[in-house]
Amino acid sequence: MKIAVCFKIIADYDRLSGKDWEWDECRFVDMSFVRRVFNCFDESALETVLKLSRQLENVSDTVELTALTVDDEQGDLFLKHLMAVGYDHAVRICCNNRLDLRFNPLVISHLISRYIKQEGQKLVVLGMQGGEGDNGQTGFLVAEQLGWPCIREVIDVVRAESPDCLKVFSRIDGAILKQTIKLPMVLIMGHSLNSPYLRVPTLRQKLNAKKKQLTIVSNIELGLDNDALLNKDKTLMDLYGQKPGKSCVFLEGKTAQEQAQRLYDQYLKERLS
Amino acid sequence: MTLTREAIVEHLKNIVGKERVITDEQVLKENSHDRYKKFETIFGVYTTPIPAAVVKLADTNQVSDVLKFLNENKINSVAKTGGTATEGGLETIVENSVVLDGSQMNQIIKIDETNMLATAQCGVNLGELEDRLREQGFTTGHSPQSKPLAHMGGLVATRSIGQFSTLYGAIEDMVIGLEAVFPNGEITRIKNVPRRSCGPDIRHVIIGNEGALCYITEVTVKIYKYFPENNEFLAWALDDMTTGFKILREVMVEGYRPSVARLYDAEDGTQHSFDQFAEDKCVLMFMAEGNEHLARATAQGIAQIVEKYDECRKIDSRLIENWFNHLNWGPEKIAEERELIRKNLHIGFTTEVSGNWDCINTIYENAIKRIREEYPHIEDLTMLGGHSSHSYQTGTNLYFVYDYDVKDCKPEEEINKYHIALNALIVEETLKAGGSMVHHHGIGKYRTPWTKQEHGSAYYILKGLKDQFDPNGIMNTGTIYPVE
Repeated sequence: MKIAVCFKIIADYDRLSGKDWEWDECRFVDMSFVRRVFNCFDESALETVLKLSRQLENVSDTVELTALTVDDEQGDLFLKHLMAVGYDHAVRICCNNRLDLRFNPLVISHLISRYIKQEGQKLVVLGMQGGEGDNGQTGFLVAEQLGWPCIREVIDVVRAESPDCLKVFSRIDGAILKQTIKLPMVLIMGHSLNSPYLRVPTLRQKLNAKKKQLTIVSNIELGLDNDALLNKDKTLMDLYGQKPGKSCVFLEGKTAQEQAQRLYDQYLKERLS
Repeated sequence: MTLTREAIVEHLKNIVGKERVITDEQVLKENSHDRYKKFETIFGVYTTPIPAAVVKLADTNQVSDVLKFLNENKINSVAKTGGTATEGGLETIVENSVVLDGSQMNQIIKIDETNMLATAQCGVNLGELEDRLREQGFTTGHSPQSKPLAHMGGLVATRSIGQFSTLYGAIEDMVIGLEAVFPNGEITRIKNVPRRSCGPDIRHVIIGNEGALCYITEVTVKIYKYFPENNEFLAWALDDMTTGFKILREVMVEGYRPSVARLYDAEDGTQHSFDQFAEDKCVLMFMAEGNEHLARATAQGIAQIVEKYDECRKIDSRLIENWFNHLNWGPEKIAEERELIRKNLHIGFTTEVSGNWDCINTIYENAIKRIREEYPHIEDLTMLGGHSSHSYQTGTNLYFVYDYDVKDCKPEEEINKYHIALNALIVEETLKAGGSMVHHHGIGKYRTPWTKQEHGSAYYILKGLKDQFDPNGIMNTGTIYPVE
């Protein structure tokens, strides 16, 4: 079975302070001095699929894993990392660097779906949203273009009895939905408690991965010229910082015990139950 | 006659009051270890005997009274404040030990701007002291990664060092005076003077004693003017550690004192994401600080030295500054690490050693080579590298860093299979080359097999201290001194 996981690399926003959020005339924030990390939902997707592939291989299914990203050369380091942890193919779709794709999930989905069709994948897994544009649309658009069923807020996926199906666990209205779904399908990964972190490659795996080749595909090769990548529907008008409102409540009480009891009764009890 | 566990608790309650004697089982379990056995404890396994009680000490007199009782009854004590130890020094290896918790002795006693001194009780968190000083335009200059959690007593007891040590020195260079209590209950104060010639410097009997000789109750350290606006970061990528050590030496020997002078090998750099801007390269970095003239001259002088080396490529200093500003470990980072360990069965440890300039590269190369060639579980390693982070006129330290997947063993077997075995190879190679087996974590309980080799003929002095001050052997048994 051919499985593709689409991921995005973003700046580690935890390492940006309020004063760093200054944008230039093109409304780009300079994050070049901050390390880049896997988008958290994509990281879960990547690890979940690695675990799934081991299950599938145990029942003698041939599994071929592809990690796919739309990025510039900076993405290569992450692709090599993924080759080291067990992805068979590492693909980077490169576009004209000057294009602003942050708020253009439609174009990203076209690039992804064209590659998927070309390679005959059966399962596509993506994180539910990327930190940069926070669009939350790419997965749905990919499914639409492929004409495949799509499950959102996925927290886990495991092998099903039938080789044509997978068991998918997803969150819905506070409950967990377990479905057996026939392939092909698109899964949109939410907060996974089982696989929040991507595994770390061993020294030997890292060494072996260095010998492997990355696949670089351009938008032109996927049949989309530069003009097709322009965001014609939307224009970014402005960016502005949101001032977080803060409020403070002083808990009254004669003793610390009384104050703690009030804290529990009024603020914690409901959350903990 | 040996007192029972119950009798020990009862006596302690009579001395300090029942509210200060904790016997809750979970608290006792958590006080039976430090970060050395983090893997097994994350999985709820506690292999060290749990102490009889944790005593929350209120003041120096209580420390004295409790120690006197323990000494008279030959009951082992383990001194503790912030609890960030990493070398097993806080493990209660003797049945019915008593943990002496000084974290509630947490008053900043005095900030003396005239004499540039700060006096704090042992349970004062360094981060809090530093915040208070910075409000007034001062700093201790001490900034270990554990700053958000560590307390003054523990920092002095383990001879800790901070990230700005190349300028400010380590804790032993900062401590001016001390108050400590010995096992017989004797309270001793060493006065605060800039320097004196009155016999051996007795501060050093107390600094670094790891609770094996006495209990530190109060500390006075130097303070400095704080000029963060003048900080200048500098960094270069280079091909190998040999050149890096050469440059570090030149910087130090030429008399420059950057607050930060660090050299990372390529492998260690990956875990800090240095490969994003220096793939397969070593990274050399400096921070110059102090008053405007000194900071500028230091940065210029260092740049002049490094730029003589063609293989060095300049790195955007903002990358290093941003990384450096997120280096400290607070409670949230420890919680995140625990979660990562639990989910992925993946853990990392370090072994820090030191050596003179003429042997440091040998230590680095031989230790890495030996691990690669001899360590039987090399296949489980995900990272093996090192860095130097504290330099001196005469040499530097080496921080070996290794991460691994824990495979095919029970939680309680992890430490022996991996960390202890790797640590041993590094310590052996370091001692063989003439270096020191511990740079700044303290000996704790797991490098004691090499204490005698480390000190050689000078072990006579070290042993003499134990014989003199702790003849009953009740002070943190198994720490610094090997159990005979």
